[in-house]
Order: sequence, then structure tokens, then C-alpha cells
Amino acid sequence: MSQFDIEFTFDDNTITASPGQSVGAALLAANLRSLGQTRFNKNKRGVFCGIGVCFDCLVVVDGIANQRACIVEAKSGMKVQTQVGSNA
Amino acid sequence: MHNVVIIGAGPAGLSASLAAAAAGAPVLLIDSNPRLGGQYWRMSADDFQDQHNQHFDLDTGLLLINAVKARKEIEVWSGAQIWSATNKDGKNTLRIIYQGKERIVNTENLILCTGAYDRTLPFPGWDIPGVMTPGGVQSLLKGHGVLAGRRVVVAGSGPFLLPVAAGVIKAGGSVVALLEASKSRRWLTSFFVLLENISKIKEAFYYIKTISEAKVRARFGQAVIAAHAASNGELESVDIAKIDRNFRIKKVQNIKCDVAAIGWGFTADTSLAGSLGCNQLVAKDDGVVVWVDGEQQTSIPGVFAAGEITGIGGSDLSMAEGVIAGISAAKFVGCNVEVLKAHRKRRAKRQRFANALIRAYPIKPGWKSWLKDETIICRCEEVCLSDLKHSINELGATDSRTAKLLTRCGMGLCQGRICGRFVVDLVANELNLSPTDTDRISAVNRPIITPIPLGVLALGE
Repeated sequence: MSQFDIEFTFDDNTITASPGQSVGAALLAANLRSLGQTRFNKNKRGVFCGIGVCFDCLVVVDGIANQRACIVEAKSGMKVQTQVGSNA
Repeated sequence: MHNVVIIGAGPAGLSASLAAAAAGAPVLLIDSNPRLGGQYWRMSADDFQDQHNQHFDLDTGLLLINAVKARKEIEVWSGAQIWSATNKDGKNTLRIIYQGKERIVNTENLILCTGAYDRTLPFPGWDIPGVMTPGGVQSLLKGHGVLAGRRVVVAGSGPFLLPVAAGVIKAGGSVVALLEASKSRRWLTSFFVLLENISKIKEAFYYIKTISEAKVRARFGQAVIAAHAASNGELESVDIAKIDRNFRIKKVQNIKCDVAAIGWGFTADTSLAGSLGCNQLVAKDDGVVVWVDGEQQTSIPGVFAAGEITGIGGSDLSMAEGVIAGISAAKFVGCNVEVLKAHRKRRAKRQRFANALIRAYPIKPGWKSWLKDETIICRCEEVCLSDLKHSINELGATDSRTAKLLTRCGMGLCQGRICGRFVVDLVANELNLSPTDTDRISAVNRPIITPIPLGVLALGE
């Protein structure tokens, strides 16, 4: 089984993932449910629709904001960060 | 040059591709997912793990997928994002981000098989991390082998709740409540329809077996009406209520959970069809769908549509429509082929089943009484119910479009995909009106099909 041969970071945590898993799926598997905070109320948000429709699970991937965690495939060495607001 | 361009690789798109290719037409199949199969046959990566237990009938999906891969007349673009689609002088232009670059495809012949996503309704706390759609929970299981949480509440309405609850149980999770809002026994009045669609009954019993073996009992006439966060801002519990026929709250109880998967059927993704200018109509469940004729052709000659975007009806109906659309499109490009009577009969039978489903799971207007003034309506722009009311009662909005412009409700990144459908109901309710078809159709049209980074356009053709 080739499970968990991908490693990336989410803020200060090291996260493992299987090939083909999304960043959002790997984070949920690690029991990390809050991925970002909203622009105005700074409320926490996580994976909601899971298929790229709702844009709720936005994270910063390798410095680029507004990436949907539910559809970005996890890759080794990726640097994923919590997105606060629009990260502007 | 490609003769038939097919968008979407779920049950409808796969069936359409095979039918068109078999008729002699070369096919370009464009899909946004990394792997073929759509939402229904969502596949995990090849070397991940066997997902048979998350599917009722994965073998049919694998059969179609492998057949598509094996036919050299079918070229597949997976992971392609279509961001713009226009129709001018009989020519359709698709702008696609594929392998990091913009590609432009011009074609006179298209089959749209863009599918559907979960229909949601707002309620207090539905934006808390841990509240999800049933489709979201299922896509994590099917596509990524991940259970979204240990203790799961599955709620809302419609037959889709059954496979989601069964999937959670098979993955080792615990379904702490399975709630169906409808109390309808209208199934029994459609005895003939059930009998002629016996495979669908088998599918339902396949899920019910797993659910009852786990000693979970579905409760009817109940719904999740509020969600509560722990001090860390994540889901801790939900309020579940007994509701009356009109979805008004009777009695409330609190229950602890890690995940609440709540959905109310499906919304067709007609963005692409709307962008091209295909006529749309409002279906019996108040959802907007694409109009097609008996050959699955839309109001634009040469543009066909199949599957959930022509009306929510499940994978079997999608496949039946896909075959007809594939044959019709092949005929349109000059192949000597006809839709058979047997194809039409199969579609009609499955359509009767889909109609019975929609009658059996009506969404009643009482859900609006669950909301509070501070309840978020538009998740993207953080517009709450009181903002919407203010735009109507103080600023004088008299339709949902004006209310949207005054509040930014539905103007965020998802472009109203989540809230657009029910905002129409909320605005009409505040104005004491019934929403018109024009209100509903204008709420689903959006100029950009999917947001893309502008820099990518500079690299294109």
C-alpha cells in the first residue's frame, strides 16, 4: 500500500496524504476542520460542499490565496496556510 | 477536427461519448475532475484503495470509464476548467484552462452533461466548520477515502441521504441521527412506477440493509434546524426538531455530533447552458433546468444536453438521456444513425421514476421560520437575513435581483450557486409574493463559469 507517502505543511503542522487525495481531505483526516476565516466577521470556515462549488474551504497554497482545499491535490512539499479574509 | 464536444464525464457524459463514438463521430470529452466518473462514480486515485463498498454499482461505472478510455475516437481532457462559453452565429466558443494554459475550442456541436450539486437551505449555524452537504461527505469517502468525522448527523430530504448514511457506516463512522424531513407515503401510490424500476428499489434496500444492521433508524418528519459551535468555533451539536407538514417546528432536541451532512436534493448546474443562451425552465421542485426536445437538443440547434441539467433524475435516467444525446449529436454531424424506440422507452420509464421521486420529497415553505435575523444567507459575502430584509423594507427592493445588488447577496466567489436558489424564495416571502420563473432563471445565470487567475490568460493561444 502506498498510503501516506505525501507530506505537506498546514501552518505549523506536518500533514500526511495519500496520492490523489485533496488538501481538504488530508486536513479532515488529521481532524483539522477549520481552514480559514471570513473577511468581515472572521468566522471560521471549513469544507462545506466538498466538490469545488461553494468556495468556503479557501486556503493559501504556496503563497497563492483563494485555492479550494477540496479540489487542490496534495503534493509533497506544499506549503498550505490558513486564509484570513481575502489574504490581501 | 473534433466532431462532437461533450462536457462532463459522469453517467450522462460517458454514455453520450460512447454512443457518439459508436455512431462514427470523433469525440472530445472535457471534464473538470482529475478522473472520469463524475460525482456518482467519483473515483479515488488508482493506487489509493478499493472503493467498491462506497458504491452500489461501481462495476457499471468502471465498465463505461474503461470503454471510453479504450476508444481511440474519444479524446479526453480531464482536469479542464471551462471559464467562458459563448454562442455566436451558430458557433460555440469554449475557453478552457487545461494543463495550465488557456485553450479555445470552437464547435457547432456540443453535448452538455454538467450535472448537479447539493441543494442547500440556510439555518442558524450552517456556516460552522463541520456542517457539510451530504454530497461533500460522500465525495470525501468515494474520492479520498476520508470520513469527515466520527459522529455524523445525516439530515434533509430525499433518497440521497441513504447512500450517504450507509457510506459513513461502512467507513467506520457512527450515524447518530438520520432525519428525513418528509413524511410522505406517496411512494405507495406509484406502485407501477416502482415495479418497472425494480433496480432502483434494489439500490435503496442495499443502503437500508447497511443502515439497519448498524441499528440506525431513520426518523421521518424531523430536521436539523440549528447548529452550535464549541469555543474553538467548530461544530459541537445540532438542534433537531420534529416538524409539521409545512416544515414548521414542533419540538426541539439537542444532539452532539462532529459532522452534520444536510441536503435537500439537488440543483442542476446550468451555468454553461445559460451562458450559451440555451432556454431554461423551472422544474416541479422549483429548480432551474435546461429545456430539451425529444432528441435531447436544446433551444440552440446542435447543442444537446443530458443528465441532471435537464431535470434531476439520478444516474439511470442520465445514462438513458446520454445515449440519446450521443446518437442525436452524431446524426447532427452527418453520421447515419437513429435514436431507437427502445432508447426512448428506457428514458420514459426512468423519467416516470424521477417524477415520482420529486413528488415524494417536497420542500415546504416552513423552513423559512427556522431562520433568525442574524442567520447568514450568503456565505461568501456574509450577508445575513436582516440585511436582506433591510434592502426590501428600508431600501425598497422589489425583486431578488435588486435585493442582490443592494446587499451583495449571491455576488461572491460561488456566484450564487449556494444561496441564489433560496434567496429568490426569501425575497418573495418578505414581499408577500410568489417567485416568478423569470426570478428563478435570472438567479442562476452567471457570466464567468468558474473564477480563474487572470495571469493564466496571458499564456494562452
